[in-house]
Amino acid sequence: MKAFRLHNPRTIEEALQLLEPERVSSLKTAVLAGGMDLVTELKEYLAQPDDIVNLKGIEGLSGIEAEPGGGVRIGALCTLARLEEHPVLQRTHAVLTQAAASVASVQIRSQATLGGNLNQRPRCWYYRNEESVCLKKGGTECFSYGGLNKYNAILGGGPSYIVHPSDLAPALLALDASVELVSRKGMRTVKIEKYFTLPSEGDVLRETALEPGEILRSVVIPPQKVWMRSTWLKFKEKSSFDWALSAVALCAVTDGKTIREARVALGGVAPVPWRAKAAEAALANAPMERKSFEAAAEAALRGAEPLSQNAYKIPLTKGLLIRALESLAG
Amino acid sequence: MSTQDKPKKKKVKVTRNENGHPVEVEIEVDDVDGPSWGPRAGHTLVNHDVPRVDGPVKVSGRAPYPHDIRLPGMLHARVLCARIPAGSVRLDLESARKTPGVEVVLDLEVKEIRWLGQPVAAVAATTPEKAADGLRALAAQFQAAGFAVTPEQALAPNAPQVTRRGNKGKESENGDAEAVKAALAAAAGTARAEYSLPVQHHASLETHGVVVDYSGGDEARIYASTQSTFGISEDAAEPLGLKASQIETISEYMGGGFGAKFGLGIEGLIACRLAKLAKRPVHLLLTRKDEFLAAGNRSGSRVVMEGGIAADGKLTALRAEIERHGGIGGGSHARQPYVYSVEKVHTKSYPVHTNTDGSRAMRAPGHPQASFAIESLIDELCYAANLDLLEVRKKNLANPTYARQLERVAREIGWYEHPHRTQPGRMDQRECIGIGFGVSTWGGGGGESCEVDVRIERDGSVTSSVGTQDLGTGTRTYVASIVAEEFGLGMDGVTARIGSSRLGNANASGGSTTVASLAPAVKNAAWKARMKFAEHLAPLLGTQKELLRFEKGELVDQQSGKRIPFAKACAMLPNEGLQARGTWVADLAGNGIQGAQAAKVRVDPLTGRVEVLKMVCVQNCGLPINRLTLRSQIFGGMVQALSYALLEERIMEPSLGLQINPNFEDYKLAGSLEIGEIVAIIDDEDTREQAIGVSEATIVPGHSAIANAVANACGARVRHLPLTPDKVLAALGKV
Ligand SMILES: Cc1cc2nc3c(=O)[nH]c(=O)nc-3n(C[C@H](O)[C@H](O)[C@H](O)COP(=O)(O)OP(=O)(O)OC[C@H]3O[C@@H](n4cnc5c(N)ncnc54)[C@H](O)[C@@H]3O)c2cc1C
Repeated sequence: MKAFRLHNPRTIEEALQLLEPERVSSLKTAVLAGGMDLVTELKEYLAQPDDIVNLKGIEGLSGIEAEPGGGVRIGALCTLARLEEHPVLQRTHAVLTQAAASVASVQIRSQATLGGNLNQRPRCWYYRNEESVCLKKGGTECFSYGGLNKYNAILGGGPSYIVHPSDLAPALLALDASVELVSRKGMRTVKIEKYFTLPSEGDVLRETALEPGEILRSVVIPPQKVWMRSTWLKFKEKSSFDWALSAVALCAVTDGKTIREARVALGGVAPVPWRAKAAEAALANAPMERKSFEAAAEAALRGAEPLSQNAYKIPLTKGLLIRALESLAG
Repeated sequence: MSTQDKPKKKKVKVTRNENGHPVEVEIEVDDVDGPSWGPRAGHTLVNHDVPRVDGPVKVSGRAPYPHDIRLPGMLHARVLCARIPAGSVRLDLESARKTPGVEVVLDLEVKEIRWLGQPVAAVAATTPEKAADGLRALAAQFQAAGFAVTPEQALAPNAPQVTRRGNKGKESENGDAEAVKAALAAAAGTARAEYSLPVQHHASLETHGVVVDYSGGDEARIYASTQSTFGISEDAAEPLGLKASQIETISEYMGGGFGAKFGLGIEGLIACRLAKLAKRPVHLLLTRKDEFLAAGNRSGSRVVMEGGIAADGKLTALRAEIERHGGIGGGSHARQPYVYSVEKVHTKSYPVHTNTDGSRAMRAPGHPQASFAIESLIDELCYAANLDLLEVRKKNLANPTYARQLERVAREIGWYEHPHRTQPGRMDQRECIGIGFGVSTWGGGGGESCEVDVRIERDGSVTSSVGTQDLGTGTRTYVASIVAEEFGLGMDGVTARIGSSRLGNANASGGSTTVASLAPAVKNAAWKARMKFAEHLAPLLGTQKELLRFEKGELVDQQSGKRIPFAKACAMLPNEGLQARGTWVADLAGNGIQGAQAAKVRVDPLTGRVEVLKMVCVQNCGLPINRLTLRSQIFGGMVQALSYALLEERIMEPSLGLQINPNFEDYKLAGSLEIGEIVAIIDDEDTREQAIGVSEATIVPGHSAIANAVANACGARVRHLPLTPDKVLAALGKV
């Protein structure tokens, strides 16, 4: 990796002072949390900053706190291991703790943070290979489009066909969470649904609405309905630790016989965590039976446009959604 | 006379004092005519579970692998491997030399790059990071020429020429095409299919490389991650400008080789040249990416097979056209039909070359490829003719050992309770369970080469030394255990010393030849030492040497019944102690092994998930030298095969000419969650009292059994490994 200056601010204000927006925007300054992604990028020369601002010395950014009214606030520096092991969240927000537990390996989860997970860069192998200068790295072509695209997007793709790698993002989307972003200018709150940006809508070099100079400070989950139950199903090619070929985050309010309402988010299939609104509509007030599940699965994947090697993700994702719904029913 | 019939014990008449009267009695004494393993029941350590002697230092991180070696003044080296499959390169040597910390820059002066990953230059610097900086300062400018990195590209019209021999290499042909044609026409059932296997990587946890301890002068030491301690010094002599005898090779611990680590290799050669230039020790172990690109692999294959089966289940015809995908190398593929007997056979085999590194030997070279094609075809034929998968196998295996082993694995896996024995299951059930089978063969014989020294000191210490390497198989353990058993000692009574070219000679560990070459020599050395010991002590104890036995830590005089603790007996040795050298004894080694395996899987027809529920192996290998490490070898082979079945694959990007997955994130290896129940059964009905190597056979049929089990579960016949969900869903007609 290229040599860099390491800064260890003690407060978020100090950190923000170090994050000159132009330098962040031109990739000269980078933010470091657990380093599970950034350090890999440094080692592969995908990121070559001159300055690195380490957030880990900042206190008060790793808590999991109950908000008045039933919401939950989680600090950006909270590790995935802490999240996964939280006894209350395991009961009340299973989709989130299960998603955290499905990430990588124990070693990685004990270092990796929530903020880093949401802001990690794509894992598409064209992006990760130094030799291929793809669209995401300022090149002119998304090589996956006509190339090896088994792991790429079937929904929302173009001009880049990455899938967003975060497992926490679909879970938080299903929970309707928001992120709090701070900068020298102040603080703003953005819904997860708006935080992740499609390559067709924004800057193809980024995956989120995070502005240069901003830090993701915390994640806020709004109060959930009393009867809300949730689950996370992630399909990994290699169970021992792997990225999602496809994943389903499901939050549903049921009375045992009927699904009153549901929120469905998909992972591993689109450049952003993908909200399956058509499936949600199909599930609203539907009886809890296989036929409704199949209808929801059909609806979720309607409009999918597979590339040459990833059409399998359509039946796979349908199957996963059916299995997820079955698990809530049974 | 086979070893079975040979007398193992000898009777002698002795005079014994009973109730004050001398009486003549006949007693049994240990064999004195030469070493023999003796009856199975007589062993105290051999044929038992003996934990590895180096287990504790290995699992606690104290065992120094070559990677861990740090020497005063040592430089760290990095190799620049070609980032294009073909073409040329320009380097900025000056700026690399000027990079802080860089001590030596070596241009390998490669005129023409012929394969992706070919080393073109190297840098040695004071830290690994500075060496990496130095490599970047070389600012390599690659000029790409036309290339072929996939077999399809190589066979395309107007493909660029990969080797001077052409892209399609020499074809070998066997058998009678016309006879096969006739037999196919007459068959009750036929099947024709194309099967392919990807290139697999050895994926050793320790990458290739050496640490060269040279600081000028006329001596050097090389710490090598190698399968051949005695294959290094010779190769290193020229680049170091020394005689081979001035170079000691050390290989006390090494992190896996699986067939790819013989000889010094280009990386070792580079390390020697850098050390020679710098007159400083050099540490050069490949990065993981370079390891993937430039350190060998198991060749892939593509086979078109056509077979015929008679109504009674006899295999009557087989046609096979075999392509071997060994990069710039030839690749390997065992002959078809693999293990099974088929009446009429016609085969063709040839390599298809690509601009990628040459394949190397990998655990049972060529066998897993051949196994996959034949085992798949047999199941397809059985289904075509509505015949029992197990019975057809038994019928077409000439060696009766297989029928017995198959019967055992079938019972163990639950075949007779299984509903799909002549037709696959259907996918509409919620849970699809399937079973598949496969068989293997290997030689595992040994030969003359090892020289083992057993030394016994007057203080009671015993060492057993030989220069051999331990690939993780347990070699070090039996170098001690065989000697300990000979002297009636426990494992703490003997120290094994291995891994140095200054010790007695040993063969390279390849082809599962180590145990059959080395164990007999250890046994022989131990036996000679025991004979010498007895000869020396008998007169001092006033008895006959034949009557002295070593058991349970004591020396026993069978005449007087007197027992002396081993250490005390050692004190009676001459000042210099005792030493004996053992070499190979043909009678103590055998050759030729068989194994059968079965796999049971569950397929989720909704998602294409394949779960391996259980695998069973019955494997023979003559005398189990250590039952624990033997089972470990079986487990390891089966896990490697499972990983090959489900996940492993080198993926080449055809337009950019690069390997897209040269790391352990994208090159997927099975981990603990992929592995179901594994049952390793040692075939104790093989009563040969001979040491035979087993490791390679165990990797051969597992993936074939798994693929067959998937098809058996739900009809999803996947003919191109690995069995990833995209292919399973496609085979189920869902894509
Ligand atoms: C082998 C491996 C397997 C993995 N498998 C999975 C997986 O299955 N699922 C999954 O979801 N992830 C996976 N990951 C990714 C890993 O979990 C995430 O990268 C991790 O959560 C990142 O957290 P971190 O704190 O280490 O981030 P870092 O590496 O420190 O940072 C990641 C990125 O986020 C930015 N960043 C970090 N914190 C903030 C913040 N507070 N505000 C603004 N920007 C910030 C950094 O600048 C950087 O660009 C895997 C990683 C590896 C190495």
